[in-house]
Amino acid sequence: MPIEFRDTLATLSGVVTVDEVDQFAGWLRTTPKARVSLRRCRHLHTGVFQAMLRYRPKVTAAPTDPFLAVRVLPLLNGGISGPPPARHRNATS
Amino acid sequence: MNALLAQFLAEAADLLAQVDEGLLQLEREPGDPALVNEVFRVAHTFKGSSGLFAFPELTRLTHAAEDLLDAVRGGGLSLDSGMTDDLLASFDLIRGWLAHVTTHERLPSSAAGDAARLITKLRAPLGGEKAQDEAAAVVHVARRVVPAWLDHFDQRWLTEASTWLRTTSSRMRFLRYTPDQGCFFRAEDPLHLVSEIPAVDRVDVVTPDSWPPEFDAYACLIGFVVATRAGVGEIDYLFRYVGDQIEVVELDGEAIRRHLTGEPPTATPHDPELVADAQAVLAGALRCLTLGDTISGTRLSATAHAVGAAARALGEPVDAAEADPPELREIVTRLLGDAAPTEAEVPPRPAIEMPADKPDRAHADDPGGQVGTKILKVDQEKVDHLMELVGELNVAKNGLPFLADAAEEEFGSRVLSRRIRDQHAGLHRIAEDLQAAVMDVRMLPLSVAFNRFPRLVRDLGRRLGKSVELTVHGEDTMADKDVIEALGDPLVHLVRNSLDHGVETPAERLASGKPPTARITLAAVADGDAVTVEIGDDGRGVDPDRVKRKAYQKGLISEDELETLGEADAVDLVFRPGFSTAEQVSDLSGRGVGMDAVRAGVAKLGGTVTMKSEPGRGTSTTLRLPLSMAVTQVMVVSVAGQRFGVPVDLVQENIRVPAAEMSRMLHSEVVVLRGEVVPVIDLARVLEMPWTPDPDSDRAILVVSLGDRRAGLLVERFHREVDVLLKPMEGLLAYAGEFAGTALLGDGLVLLVLNVKEVLGLADRVS
Amino acid sequence: MTESPPKVLVVDDAATVRLYHSKLLGDAGFHVAEAANGLEAVEAALTTAFDLFLVDINMPRMNGYTCVETLRSETVGTPAPVVMISTEDRPGDADRAYAAGANLYLVKPVAADRLVRVCRMLTAGRGDAA
Repeated sequence: MPIEFRDTLATLSGVVTVDEVDQFAGWLRTTPKARVSLRRCRHLHTGVFQAMLRYRPKVTAAPTDPFLAVRVLPLLNGGISGPPPARHRNATS
Repeated sequence: MNALLAQFLAEAADLLAQVDEGLLQLEREPGDPALVNEVFRVAHTFKGSSGLFAFPELTRLTHAAEDLLDAVRGGGLSLDSGMTDDLLASFDLIRGWLAHVTTHERLPSSAAGDAARLITKLRAPLGGEKAQDEAAAVVHVARRVVPAWLDHFDQRWLTEASTWLRTTSSRMRFLRYTPDQGCFFRAEDPLHLVSEIPAVDRVDVVTPDSWPPEFDAYACLIGFVVATRAGVGEIDYLFRYVGDQIEVVELDGEAIRRHLTGEPPTATPHDPELVADAQAVLAGALRCLTLGDTISGTRLSATAHAVGAAARALGEPVDAAEADPPELREIVTRLLGDAAPTEAEVPPRPAIEMPADKPDRAHADDPGGQVGTKILKVDQEKVDHLMELVGELNVAKNGLPFLADAAEEEFGSRVLSRRIRDQHAGLHRIAEDLQAAVMDVRMLPLSVAFNRFPRLVRDLGRRLGKSVELTVHGEDTMADKDVIEALGDPLVHLVRNSLDHGVETPAERLASGKPPTARITLAAVADGDAVTVEIGDDGRGVDPDRVKRKAYQKGLISEDELETLGEADAVDLVFRPGFSTAEQVSDLSGRGVGMDAVRAGVAKLGGTVTMKSEPGRGTSTTLRLPLSMAVTQVMVVSVAGQRFGVPVDLVQENIRVPAAEMSRMLHSEVVVLRGEVVPVIDLARVLEMPWTPDPDSDRAILVVSLGDRRAGLLVERFHREVDVLLKPMEGLLAYAGEFAGTALLGDGLVLLVLNVKEVLGLADRVS
Repeated sequence: MTESPPKVLVVDDAATVRLYHSKLLGDAGFHVAEAANGLEAVEAALTTAFDLFLVDINMPRMNGYTCVETLRSETVGTPAPVVMISTEDRPGDADRAYAAGANLYLVKPVAADRLVRVCRMLTAGRGDAA
């Protein structure tokens, strides 16, 4: 089982595929103070990543996978969100 | 492996074979323009396809080969055997690479060095290495227009990156990836794709301005911006299936700085690339309109159509549909307006040269062309699987007679038994047709086995300093793919043998009054259920006396035989294990495999090898193999309660002989059959099974004939004949020579099929 | 817009290139058919009205130039745009392409996004000018 749910903690491990997207998103929607452990996760499907961006659970344990740790984790820890600052957007659209 | 790469590898195999064949033919008929064009075209196709993959060495090497062939095609260069060697070596190298790609999906690490060496050789006749324009050709023209989506990057990072790029005068590629909303349903995983981008400097995510109230977890609403030092080719390759969902720009530090400080960029109001494409179409239309004669009809309306499309793309729709050429030219000139430089590049030409395209025309009119034929390429494994299923169907079908027996014997219903037998007969017919159809699919022309020989003969001939011409006949003859595959090694050995031992050097040939160029012939003929392949040469032939002496020295024949053995039998000695006619083992054919291995290999397939030779005139070796070997009809017998199969084509008859009529002769039992004495072999004893015949009952004897030898096999019981799919022995039993293979019976039991020849041999040793 | 997708005929003797173009354009929403040489392309054009042709130049049996000339001849008479894609860029090739009746001459490798963009441009509002 790539995702293990316990109370307010979801532990993601191995390769989390599109099959988990629906259940995971549903859990995040209905779990107020959700926490997610990514330590043993090797890959996150875009849908799972998107659900985390939407509901912003607290990431309790950082992944050991280099790509997830270096590239993905910063985006989940409140890095960039929302629209870009409105500035000279006349160049191209 | 992705489908595109798999397709490329399959296509490449065909192309490589064509190149090889074409080059060898070219060397014989230099300057044949159709042939040069054909080889050039194949090399060209190869290069074109290779460009789709990130194998730059492959593209560069094929490009060099193509340039050389192009020079030959243009008449500026005539192909000599040195060039042919280099070209063949190049395609050999590529063949090796592709084998590596098949397993590793990348080129071997030695590729760059190997390629560079050959490229230098290939380019030498053209006046040396070409300037490195290949590298430039792959990379896109960088865009100077800074897209708004750069703001999605973390601004602090972007500022730092801008400074760094300015300090180092370098550039970076920026990528915007906007996946389609429904992409999850197409099994796409954008984040995974992003993780595959090499040399990534920064990834940022683009989230919607506001999330929809009803969050649909399966709709992809996010996108990415990525900064990378990866090449455009790498990006193109990774995103080749979602090319319309990415935008790539290459920027220097200055452009980013201007963007960050809000200095106005110099940009056109439209997507500059689209504008460039639209202008290219307009320039093309202008060329069309200014080239030679006035255009009309379809060409005019097609041009008007394209001009209309380009105008729309430029945001200045025009009504060009009804325009005549001068009006159209005016419209195009007006639309191009500012893009004067583009227009200036189009010098009007008084007349265009349209050289008669002879080679291509010749192909177009080629009566042998098979435009309509649709050929389906099927993976060999699928056909094998189909054949296995046919075998299983046969087995299931063969179960019905057992069931019919049971219906009659156990349930006493003759009617039911009859009906089952009728069903069996119907099913049998369909299964036979199906089997024939699948067998037909498995048939391949012998050219598959012959293809490698022109190359082999040429290369070996050159190494041995012998001049040889290879003639091939009957390559259209069809045989089962297993037969063709199995034919490969024996044929290679025989042809090498001819080249090595049969064919003389040109000097020797001249001295004995022969033309200096020797001739080796490969000829295939279908002969009923068998195919005959003859390998002939006009070399020195086999000297029967020398062979006999040699065999005697090696202890293969007795002194008696040395005196009495006839010429034909003497020649046949070369097939004896441990015999080699060469005075010294040459590095070509003396690899520890002798003619005995050839005969053993062919015998394993149920075939025969014979050799005929005329001293001084040449040697001819004939292989005779069954056309197909997939299905065998066997007679089932049992001994000591266990059943065995005997191939039906070896069975002459089955007889029952009263025990009293058996007689003994010397040490073995015999039976007299229509005045002829037939030795009887106790199968149980040979196979070491505990069984002695009931002294009072009749003996069941299966009379088999093998070559000119006849023998009776004493068995316990005869059963029926069945069609089986013979599988080779595997595992521990693989070394049990007395069995030819195994087959599944209708009732699910495994049947061991006897190798009668070995059984007779074993019997000789036992007695 | 309930229009049916534009129909493109990809003409190339290299099966790999055909697969690549078909996949690329198929994913971009085009309806794609394939032909392995000029003759097949002409045969296909006689039975189907294509909105766009992508034609390779060097092909067996009938090369790209002859193919485009035939498409524009009275026998076939299709006014649909033709993009000729050359592996080589030899002097005179572009002129021959335009003289044969092509509307755009491109040299391989054509970037994926460019190919899709060009195909969209040439098939937008199809039928208007025909």
